[in-house]
Amino acid sequence: MKKIALCLAAAAAMAALPAAAQTTLNVVTAGDQNMVDYVNTFLAPRFEKLNPGVTVKAVGTGPGDAGSQKIYEKLSAQSKAGAAAWDVDVAVIHQRGAATMVKENLLAAYRKQIATDKLVSRDSAKNALGQNVDGFVIPMFHSQIALAYNPDLVKSPPKTFGELEAWVKQYPKQFGYNGVKGGMSGVGFVMGYVSATSGLGKQLEEGPYDAGRKAAIEKSLAGLKDFNRNVVLTPGNAGTLDMLNRGEISMGPVWVDMFYTWVADGKLSPKLKLALPEPGLPGQPMYYAVPAKAANAAMARKFVEFAASPEIQAEGIVKKFNWYPGIDAQHVQSKLDKASWDKLFTDIKPESLQRYGRPFPLSDYFTDIVEGYERVVMK
Amino acid sequence: MTAGAAGRARSISPRLAGLLLVSPALLVIALFFIVPLGLSVHSAFTDKAGAFTLAHFAKSFEYYGNDMVFTVAIVLLSCALIAAVAIAIAGYLTLGEHPRTKAALRWLYRWPLFIPFVVTGQVMRTFLAKNGMLNHVLVGSGVIEPLAAQSLLDWRGIVIAFVWKQAPFVTLLLAGAMASVDPQHVEAARNLGAPRWRVLGGIVLPQVRGTLLVGLVLSFVTMLSVLSVPMMINPNSPTMMTVDVAYRISTHGDYAVANALCLVSLLFGAAGAWVYLRHAVRRAEQVS
Repeated sequence: MKKIALCLAAAAAMAALPAAAQTTLNVVTAGDQNMVDYVNTFLAPRFEKLNPGVTVKAVGTGPGDAGSQKIYEKLSAQSKAGAAAWDVDVAVIHQRGAATMVKENLLAAYRKQIATDKLVSRDSAKNALGQNVDGFVIPMFHSQIALAYNPDLVKSPPKTFGELEAWVKQYPKQFGYNGVKGGMSGVGFVMGYVSATSGLGKQLEEGPYDAGRKAAIEKSLAGLKDFNRNVVLTPGNAGTLDMLNRGEISMGPVWVDMFYTWVADGKLSPKLKLALPEPGLPGQPMYYAVPAKAANAAMARKFVEFAASPEIQAEGIVKKFNWYPGIDAQHVQSKLDKASWDKLFTDIKPESLQRYGRPFPLSDYFTDIVEGYERVVMK
Repeated sequence: MTAGAAGRARSISPRLAGLLLVSPALLVIALFFIVPLGLSVHSAFTDKAGAFTLAHFAKSFEYYGNDMVFTVAIVLLSCALIAAVAIAIAGYLTLGEHPRTKAALRWLYRWPLFIPFVVTGQVMRTFLAKNGMLNHVLVGSGVIEPLAAQSLLDWRGIVIAFVWKQAPFVTLLLAGAMASVDPQHVEAARNLGAPRWRVLGGIVLPQVRGTLLVGLVLSFVTMLSVLSVPMMINPNSPTMMTVDVAYRISTHGDYAVANALCLVSLLFGAAGAWVYLRHAVRRAEQVS
């Protein structure tokens, strides 16, 4: 009997040994496939080399806010079930998801514990759609929506939303965007339009929330309904780029990183250009977050510290994946050759990005605008 | 006495055994179908405080009433076209006289059966675009002027994708049923001088009407639930209800309205099921 117990104990010890030496770090990321690719092909091999015995496993939960929503649901379920250790070590999420998760105490305030904390000062690292997220997140990158256009057909792109409206009347069915149900570049365009034409820009971004603004929002959306008569509705973020590339439309809102990546992959004509009209279009960061009860919290912090380091931001985020850096730009610029840095700012200069790259409206306004779009524009 | 008691005991035990045998299946249905359905219904009718409300349905009809009409119209139109295509192909397979054409057709028509909806959506997205392959062929062959080329990526694209994908399924059922029609009926009609289209319409089709109906009802329910095709071809208004359900969840995290929309969709599906059951019951009665 004793022998058997000893054998069992020895077997258990042997089984436990490799497990102790071998840590699997679960990185769950919202967003398109390129996010999963970035973690798997770029971050994971480098991090595993520096930390023997650690395996990084990336899982994607799908594009857009829906992806973050799935991560939120998973964490929320584990929290409600009273689980002691959650199986998500690092979560990569959108602003809306981050705001909800911080509000419901699902994230750890980890940023002060890592060295890269000092490299982020931008507003988006502290504020996500009106929710204070300072300390809970570190931006992985920033992405921006801009108008892509074909310079062969459009000599001088519209500089304001007013000019865009006139342009669309003059050249019907040459502007295309993907509505509010086909991805965030369309949603972002709608936000930009309402910001520009309702005169509420500042309040939409900074608050306070006032349900009484619905009337002004809907008035602006009625203008968008008119605008829509002369535009083409495209099937999705990629759909807009496809149609631009096939020459079916000559202008449309796109994600800047997606645009550059498609050009680099040969999927999009390098002749196409980008412009940011006044008073701007929204952009958003993706955040690295560590759940409140992550099973491998210490390793997760190490991973984020590594991923947010200037070298990795320069090499991976900017050079390989064409995103704007997540940490403050000056720390990244010094690690890059001039050509790679300038490529990011070929069409949109840093100063116009600074001026016309806007945050998304506060969550409540966001909901009012997309629901208003359904009620007013789609009817 | 004892023999009778033993007999009774034996007559009960098979019943128990039967119950035990079906219990795993019943349990699976209860756990994975009835319970989630119950939760959906519950969420569709309760507000945040847990009280009964019809607000989610009111919102569904206010925001997505158009899409409900659009969904039913698209699916019914697709069913009609599927029926036409299926009758044409199955009719030719049964009554056609050119063996090589028949063999080629038989080989070709089943292909879409093995292609998932999401792939169909993706294929159609480039095929039907304004500067897509279809228009290239039409312009290249001089059928249409380049300026007349237009994008079919709207409701027409959804209908084309549905018909392309579902017609082979109905054809498969229909061709099988037509093959089992007594050949003497066809020969008798042909001997009396009926042309093939009249044989098809007057002799064959009435005998396989039931199978056609079943195939169409199953297609109706399937198309009602497809998300990928409308999402990829035309996610903008008007669009199909599946897109709205996905959108309520993904953009708003609003399961209540999504569930209300699902219940409305379930009602449409139930209408199909009702036709199906009525037909199946009538058939069972005829057999017995």
